Amino acid sequence: MAEAAVSVRPEKPPRNWWLWGTALAFLVLMTWWSARGIGFSINELVCNIGGGRRLLQESWPPDFSFLPRLFAPFLETVQIAIIGTVVGAILAIPISVLAARNLTLGMFVWFVDRNFMNILRTLPDLFWAMLFATAVGFGPIAGALALTVFTIAVVSKLYSESLEAIDMGLTEAIRAAGGSWWQMVQYGALPQSLSQYVSYVLYGFELNIRASMILGLVGAGGIGMILETQRSNFEYERVTMIILVVLVAVLVIEQVSAVIRRRLT
Amino acid sequence: MTARPMPPNRVGWGTWLTFIIAALFIASLIAIEFTPARMLQLPAQLARVLGFFYPADMAYGWNMVLPAIVESIQIAWVGTIVAAILSLPLALLGARNLYPRISRIAHLISATARAFPEILLAIYFVPIVGLGPFAGAMAIGISSIGMLTKLGAEVVESIDLGPVEAVQASGGSRLLALRYAVVPQVLPEIVAHWLFRFELNIRASAVLGVVGAGGVGGVLLNTLRYRHFEKAAAVLLLTILIVLIIDMISGEIRRRIIRS
Repeated sequence: MAEAAVSVRPEKPPRNWWLWGTALAFLVLMTWWSARGIGFSINELVCNIGGGRRLLQESWPPDFSFLPRLFAPFLETVQIAIIGTVVGAILAIPISVLAARNLTLGMFVWFVDRNFMNILRTLPDLFWAMLFATAVGFGPIAGALALTVFTIAVVSKLYSESLEAIDMGLTEAIRAAGGSWWQMVQYGALPQSLSQYVSYVLYGFELNIRASMILGLVGAGGIGMILETQRSNFEYERVTMIILVVLVAVLVIEQVSAVIRRRLT
Repeated sequence: MTARPMPPNRVGWGTWLTFIIAALFIASLIAIEFTPARMLQLPAQLARVLGFFYPADMAYGWNMVLPAIVESIQIAWVGTIVAAILSLPLALLGARNLYPRISRIAHLISATARAFPEILLAIYFVPIVGLGPFAGAMAIGISSIGMLTKLGAEVVESIDLGPVEAVQASGGSRLLALRYAVVPQVLPEIVAHWLFRFELNIRASAVLGVVGAGGVGGVLLNTLRYRHFEKAAAVLLLTILIVLIIDMISGEIRRRIIRS
């Protein structure tokens, strides 16, 4: 009995102090190094709050008389997003199929395609926009091309993962009945993952609307081009107006797409 | 009588939707004047410009681009740390199973923060704290709060409430229950989300240079603007390389954290 009373309390699990110490040291050092590197100072932030207040006063109220002039660029923004999403979504299908381990045409194809996808994903949307703007000239076409690449990157990453999780019974049945690889993909793999595909495309569209608003900062068309000129002229009341339009558009698209995606699943 | 099952009737809303999307697509193509002639021209044009990118000017890469990429990483790191510190309490407050009433406010804050693209925030931060990486870090930090709060609150909502009840049943306060029952359960997954956000923030901070908020984006914009394509090629190569490496390391750490 006496022995039992000694350790009623469960023992604490042992901790890996070495691992925790290294992780913590890395965290602290990295933060210190980064904060110094970028000149992070609370002091500066507090001192400049005054400037921030002046800026806010300048940018409020938004210049509503500017609103009619935003209509055409806004429309262009939506058009860029539509083109980028449609083309990107179509091109993403073969890329995702070949990047899915269970459907691909061999390890070499899989390897090349996987790495192609990864490289597409490393560059941010505005980098693509800058590249295409230099290659094909300033304007909405550059934006549409940039968003096409961006959509491929987003959709194929997500969709190839869903394709890897499909029920292989159906595809095997088609193969067993003498179907070709093409028929297996067309009738076995794609139909069962259609709802996921649609929901990823919608997600891509959301991201594209958001991105297309800022593509103009580097000259790739849409409402961002006006934003850039007004910003360089320090017309902050107009900048606020543009940002309000962007925010409303993003929120509306998000809500609509969330409702559709909920219906799908 | 055929043994074959009838195919289901396919002319449903899906067909109509396809038509609507196709119509919108074509209308958009016409509106931005993306004509067939222009499309045919495109491959040759792209190939011509891509030709200028070779060979990459790696001397410029190591001397000028690498420091800019390092600065981008620093911006992303500080931004992520700021967002992590601010979003942890918000994520706890945003969990519906712990704070049914306060959670609405946290959700509202998170939705507002998520609506702003980083670069628009940077446009406001640049005049406040001046041109440079500090403005970028603040913009990244503020805009990351939204997503981290949302994902964090979802993690907290999925916990086992048993330990919370156990702490409170043995006389612990709400705060103690958070510290000993909630945080240990959610921390690994939340840290994994922080790392994921860090990966996203590297891409975001790379872009911020466009509005003068530091990092590699400004270098790329300048090299392209002055048509120094070999230098731009160095920027792209190094960015791809370093982002791939960081993604790999961070992805591996995330996998380990989630597994343990």
